[in-house]
Amino acid sequence: MNDAPSSIRRRLFCAVPLTALAALAQADGALAAVVAKESKAPAKLSAEELSAIFLGTAKSFPNGEKVIPVDQRAGTEPYSGFYRRVAGKTEAQMAAYWSRIIFTGKGQPPQEVGDGAAVKKLVAANPNMVGYIEVSLVDASVRVVAEVK
Amino acid sequence: MRIHTVLSVIAFGATALLSSARADEGSGIRFNLSGFANITAAKVLSGTDRTYMQWHCPCAIQNWEYVGVYEKSRGWQADQESLVGLQGMVQFGDQLSATAQVLSRPNNFDYRPTIDWAYISWAATDNWTLQLGRKRIPLYYYSDFLYIGTAYPWVRPAADVYGWPVYAYDGANAAYSGRWGSMTVDANVWAGGFDHHNAPYDTKIYYGAITNEKWESIFGGYITLTQGDWSTRLMLMRFKDTVWQSPAGAPETVFTPGYSTAIGGVSVNYDGNDWLLRTELNRFKQSVSKLQYDYYLVGLGYKWHGLTGIGTVSHYTTKDVGSGVEARQSYSLVLRYDLNRNWALKAQYDWSKDKTTAYTFFGDHKMLSFSAQTAF
Repeated sequence: MNDAPSSIRRRLFCAVPLTALAALAQADGALAAVVAKESKAPAKLSAEELSAIFLGTAKSFPNGEKVIPVDQRAGTEPYSGFYRRVAGKTEAQMAAYWSRIIFTGKGQPPQEVGDGAAVKKLVAANPNMVGYIEVSLVDASVRVVAEVK
Repeated sequence: MRIHTVLSVIAFGATALLSSARADEGSGIRFNLSGFANITAAKVLSGTDRTYMQWHCPCAIQNWEYVGVYEKSRGWQADQESLVGLQGMVQFGDQLSATAQVLSRPNNFDYRPTIDWAYISWAATDNWTLQLGRKRIPLYYYSDFLYIGTAYPWVRPAADVYGWPVYAYDGANAAYSGRWGSMTVDANVWAGGFDHHNAPYDTKIYYGAITNEKWESIFGGYITLTQGDWSTRLMLMRFKDTVWQSPAGAPETVFTPGYSTAIGGVSVNYDGNDWLLRTELNRFKQSVSKLQYDYYLVGLGYKWHGLTGIGTVSHYTTKDVGSGVEARQSYSLVLRYDLNRNWALKAQYDWSKDKTTAYTFFGDHKMLSFSAQTAF
């Protein structure tokens, strides 16, 4: 299994001001990649960078700060929507990707921490974490580094 | 009954390990339990009528490591490739972990669980991991996850490529994972050896009597470069190969006393939104004996929603040094359906032509396979 297809990557993302997210919140299944407000993560992450972090091939933000990605619960629309847009893979294809990684001793998938609210709460308290939440959940406790739609 | 007993033993052991690890979670120790299973039923439809070793052909050798063979005379068989595996990992802090993988499969000591993996792992840096213990040899693209059916499109990767007597090593390896610009890099170097007494590949397929094989002074490495939808993998491994028999009351016979052997391979794969391509080209070459195998597979597939179809051609041949060759050409058509994130259902039709001229081998076959495969 490979990284995100370039055709998918190009459809993504840019870091967007918080005020611009209100309109995007209406978009079907729009998600935001977020970090803690005081995180040392870069102002924005590219599609490739976000894909590498969540597929486990990058262990640090591009500026060298350690990164810990966290997932929403598998089987939910945010989970499947995120990986469909970021990696161009279905949920079954992601499971296949991770089964290969796990059973060859090369790593573990991001920890699943629950729904968007749970991800936001955890990320807000941990400067090294990055997660994805529904745009409607974005508030001042987190900083948006990429918009995924 | 026997399989139930085995599964109970595995489950009991894993549960005991899990319980003890959970008790220590407060001290920073974490435990992960995962597993996989393949339930495969297949039937040889037609082929060459002959007897080869213990088998009444038409027959098909679909697993060469522990020897899974289907015979037309036995109709549908589910006891040749079905298997279950459990992997437990105990993580001690952020850098140190211990992993063991136990596998139960039919023709490997009659379902007795065996340890395919057992190693400790130290994440030295974000990019480098050092491991010590027993691992599968990552020879070809699918070698180290050959039984994780959910990770590939076929019921099993082409037997023309994936068939060797020794598939694990005891030793050490250093793994690199990282990014060079926009390219993902996965690399590994390993060293060790493996002593396989009564290797099923040798004993059952080639010699018909208890035969042992050991690979010593193994040293190998691979690098996989992934750029977008394309990945390329290069691999080279050297070792000293000894094959011998020690019959009771008779002198030991050594067929290959530590012959220097090299295996090299290249694999180029494409994994797009719709299309997928799988290619492997490999060579096995041994000094003194002059034994040389050349083998490849090429598969072209298409993904459509939860369905994947792939057609594959595979081939292997030995080098003719004057007494003919052992060779085979095979084709397969596969349909995979992802039932959900954990289960894949597969149907595979194979037809294979025996092109061996050096001796009478197991002949041609056509066969049909169905498999339900899971990872959890």
